[in-house]
Amino acid sequence: MAKSGDGIHILQGLLVFGNVVIGMCGIALTAECIFFVSDPHGLYPLLEATENDDIYAAAWIGIFVGFALFALSILGIIGVIKSKRTLLLVYIILMLITYAFEMASCITAATHRDFLTPNLFLKQMLEMYRKSEPINNNDKWMTEGVTKTWDKLMLENQCCGVQGPTDWQEYMSAFRTTHSDADFPWPHNCCVMDAQGSPVNLDGCKLGVPGYYNSNGCYDAISGPMNTHAWGVAWFGFAILCWTFCVLLGTMFYWSRIE
Amino acid sequence: MWALAAAGGSRGDAEPGRPHSRPRHPGTRTMLPLLLPLLATAHGLVRLAYAPTLAEETLGGLTTTSTFTLEQPRCVFTEVRDDAIIWLVVAVPEAVPSFNDSVEPGTPERAFQRFPAGAPAYMTLNTTLPNYPCPKPTGEITVLRVGSETACAGSETRPTCNGPLPGPGPYRVKFLVLEGSEPVAETTWSKPITLRTARQPGSIPAAGSGRSAAMIALTAILSILFAVLLAGLVAMLVFWGSDAYGGSSTFSKPEAVTVQRYNTHHVYDQPAARL
Repeated sequence: MAKSGDGIHILQGLLVFGNVVIGMCGIALTAECIFFVSDPHGLYPLLEATENDDIYAAAWIGIFVGFALFALSILGIIGVIKSKRTLLLVYIILMLITYAFEMASCITAATHRDFLTPNLFLKQMLEMYRKSEPINNNDKWMTEGVTKTWDKLMLENQCCGVQGPTDWQEYMSAFRTTHSDADFPWPHNCCVMDAQGSPVNLDGCKLGVPGYYNSNGCYDAISGPMNTHAWGVAWFGFAILCWTFCVLLGTMFYWSRIE
Repeated sequence: MWALAAAGGSRGDAEPGRPHSRPRHPGTRTMLPLLLPLLATAHGLVRLAYAPTLAEETLGGLTTTSTFTLEQPRCVFTEVRDDAIIWLVVAVPEAVPSFNDSVEPGTPERAFQRFPAGAPAYMTLNTTLPNYPCPKPTGEITVLRVGSETACAGSETRPTCNGPLPGPGPYRVKFLVLEGSEPVAETTWSKPITLRTARQPGSIPAAGSGRSAAMIALTAILSILFAVLLAGLVAMLVFWGSDAYGGSSTFSKPEAVTVQRYNTHHVYDQPAARL
């Protein structure tokens, strides 16, 4: 009796500890996903325009899953300490539902990250930046979002185009139809700006003199935050799920051993 | 002087049938400009061996789809008066052999607005020698951007407009110096300059969705774990249903374990009774 009494106490202790960790990870997941959804880098309009913004959907699911994990971990702790079978069964079933949702979130984030390639953003930039005649209201909304985002990106990160200013030369674009090549080989936001927000030397910028225009591409500034977002949701969720798997197996074993 | 050093690589446009007092071979090409004044004074036109070139490669906008940038002709026109006007001639390559120096700039035959269909060459960027001071200060970028004026590109009243070029070319250019309406000096024609051509964005390959190994691993592992958990849940429910489960390996609840106090048969009373 004493041996099984020790055994039960050890298992109880382990399960309580496991649930505490799940609870804390749940709060961390919620906080992380709220951070991503708040879009600190202002890149959401680019994703919205690709109509492929599922990494944001994954973050939204993450917020609710994190909260559910926290609540269920408390339920789990109570159930383990009181050793009630029904309580633990409810806990296990609800945890499995939460597990399924979190799985969906992780897989969505990882899969849709693979869609975000340089060519996708290049095509979108060429077709939507400063597009003068949007087809409908939705197109107008997305075009304005893309234009504002690119203007902000080029100013803040001192970059031009996706791979460089030559993007504007190598391809036709909506920008090119309203801005002549001689006056705007690339948008003026690609120029090095002074404190007042106007180009330091517009002729130098148009000529492409190094130092008066931004010669590097913006892809790093886009893909960096998006990678962090997608991998943060996917891999942190994966880690939580691996831990939860162990805790749930232990709980099932515990459940089968109590009356 | 760097301008003459460049002459070694220029195409020689020496007229055929002209007698030379010494045999010509590549090393002595630089001697040509010394001979030419003797020959050219007979025709009133100095033909310089300098050929206009594109500016340095580090410029990002060296050639765009409608402009290109030339190096300024510094230290080239050594025997030209300060009041002579130096023009830039832009022509299609087909017009080069039959180009007539005497056609005046500003005429319809040399109007930018009619280039290239109505006028096979046009003249623009007119300036005087003091604007190309010699020697060139080091560290300065001295260029001429051909095609930078968009305001006058459509107005027939400005035939010498430096407007954007209508197509990707190729084009050949040279400098022509006029005193009044008389051509006094010219450079050789440049190599053909081809501008960039822009492709349609539709030609960009659609974003290939390659599945990364990380995503596949993540999906596979999570699916397996979830399957194991579901199996465990099913096993739990099956065993709950069957009453045959139980027995010696169950953990009793702590409160169910009570120590029964066994009352012995008044064992302790007897010694008390003896006293």
